[in-house]
Amino acid sequence: MIKFITKRLIIAIPTLLIIIAFGFIMMRVAPGGPFTNERALPPEIERNIQEAYNLNKPIYEQFFIYIKNLSVGDFGPSFKYKDFTVKELIISGLPVSATLGLSSIFISLILGSFLGIIAAIRKNTYFDYSIMGISLIGICVPSFVMAPILSLFFGLYLGLLPTSGWNGGNIFNLILPITALSLPQIAVISRMMRSSTIEVLNSNFIRTAKSKGLKSSYIIRKHVIRASILPIIEYLAPASAGLMTGSIIVEQIFGLPGIGRYFVVGALQRDYTLVSGVMILYASLLIILILITDILRAYLDPRVKI
Amino acid sequence: MQSIQKNIKNSDLLLEVNNLNVFFDTADGKIQAVKDVNLFINKGECLGIVGESGSGKTQTFFSITGLLSSNGYCNGSAIFKDFDLISASEDKKREYLGKSIGFIFQDPMTSLTPHMKIGEQLSEIATFHDNLSKSEALKRALNVLDIVKLPKSRNLINSYPHELSGGMKQRIMIAISLMCSPELIIADEPTTALDVTTQSEILNIFNDLQKGMGISIVLISHNIGVIAETSDRVMVMKGGKVVEKGSTFDVLTSPKDEYTKHLLSCIPPWLEG
Ligand SMILES: Nc1ncnc2c1ncn2[C@@H]1O[C@H](COP(=O)(O)OP(=O)(O)OP(=O)(O)O)[C@@H](O)[C@H]1O
Ligand SMILES: [Mg+2]
Repeated sequence: MIKFITKRLIIAIPTLLIIIAFGFIMMRVAPGGPFTNERALPPEIERNIQEAYNLNKPIYEQFFIYIKNLSVGDFGPSFKYKDFTVKELIISGLPVSATLGLSSIFISLILGSFLGIIAAIRKNTYFDYSIMGISLIGICVPSFVMAPILSLFFGLYLGLLPTSGWNGGNIFNLILPITALSLPQIAVISRMMRSSTIEVLNSNFIRTAKSKGLKSSYIIRKHVIRASILPIIEYLAPASAGLMTGSIIVEQIFGLPGIGRYFVVGALQRDYTLVSGVMILYASLLIILILITDILRAYLDPRVKI
Repeated sequence: MQSIQKNIKNSDLLLEVNNLNVFFDTADGKIQAVKDVNLFINKGECLGIVGESGSGKTQTFFSITGLLSSNGYCNGSAIFKDFDLISASEDKKREYLGKSIGFIFQDPMTSLTPHMKIGEQLSEIATFHDNLSKSEALKRALNVLDIVKLPKSRNLINSYPHELSGGMKQRIMIAISLMCSPELIIADEPTTALDVTTQSEILNIFNDLQKGMGISIVLISHNIGVIAETSDRVMVMKGGKVVEKGSTFDVLTSPKDEYTKHLLSCIPPWLEG
């Protein structure tokens, strides 16, 4: 187990390097730079700035300087938020984004699986049809459309919930953004769970369980769920990736001071270090999630060895 | 009325099936897989069911035990000790399934739950029907392993299905059916997936159960040689219908139906006699 985790973390280093290099190049290839303004700067000032941030050096040299700094945990200064380092910005936004992301993933997993199982057990009833119908809408309507609709309806029209702001993590401020983020995931997960549960219910080992005269609730609990939840575990990492990209927009719409905001602002303003820093964070999170997925899968399915 | 009379006449009767029909809703409309089947099984007897693939052997017994797929339904009656299994409610039927009637399935490779330990798959049935505690049920499981000629080991109890061979899985399936001392075991081609030596070992176990413990057995097989060795009576099925039935000796030595004659002619000559 420990050997497996160590091995996977070591393999993760080259993966991360490739992602960093790719992001680095993409950012530099994009036209303009962090200090391009509508009004041109006097040439000597521009040269000074470029020198201060090493932007006058060839790209490969800039890359090596960046990697060298990274290896000692230095993500560099932000080019736009002049008085902050990238690390400080990320640390300030992390609690907001993590609260949003973790709550959304938990709610999506639990609610999605639950609805999917019930729909499978009540296959071809009105309950099943309504869950599947609503979830189809959930899949088709992305977070960035759902968010303003929710905000308009519950915030402005009904006046029940605040439409923006963090407010120190107040639960009422969180309800709308978490709902906007979770709904598409709940929709996808409930559909996956429904079809995998139906497949398991039709399998030979469930027939054996029925032939033992066991109660259906017991059969679902002991024989069905652990087998039918496997595809959902596989979906954990892609779902989290979806939540991360979703959160970038949702944080923006609900005015939440999370990391997503820095990513958008950084990309628009060519804040090279800030964008790279956020990208490294997202990539590392995904790598860790894929690792957790593999461990969970081995726990749920004894045929999988790690 | 008819069935009651028979019941009085023959106190040895365990299961009696009358006018059983099984239907399936399919994309091409309704199909009938079992057509007006009548049969009975006495206590301590082994009834052999032969017939080609698709002749309705499995579905006949799935319908009796309520294990048909969701697109299937049946009518008729299946009286098990004065109790009609077919018209019974799910709850009532559950009291018999696993407790008085054990079912062994055609495909041992996929019939055990992959994520549950063998011990739990054996013991859950006894904790459920006989209200045993977990440790009592496990103790009983070890004894049952002995009956099916598996080692009475904690190792086996703690293993998962994928760690066992096909023959071992089939023995576990038999062991599961024995956990609550059933009166009837329905064995659906219990040896088809296995090699010849394992096959004869498994058949020996059935022989012990029937002769030694007085358990009635329904043995489904396409192999008429297997039936000849084990059954007291045979029933031949084709296209969902019973085409011939009688004592094993009568049917095999003087078959009346063309189809039975055809089946018998397919046995290699060195197995005859
Ligand atoms: N769920 C189902 N839907 C539609 N038709 C079915 C279904 N299950 C079984 N049948 C049909 O019922 C018929 C009888 O099947 P059954 O399983 O009883 O055959 P069998 O005699 O056991 O054959 P085998 O020796 O291959 O096991 C077959 O023609 C089969 O196609
Ligand atoms: Mg069959």
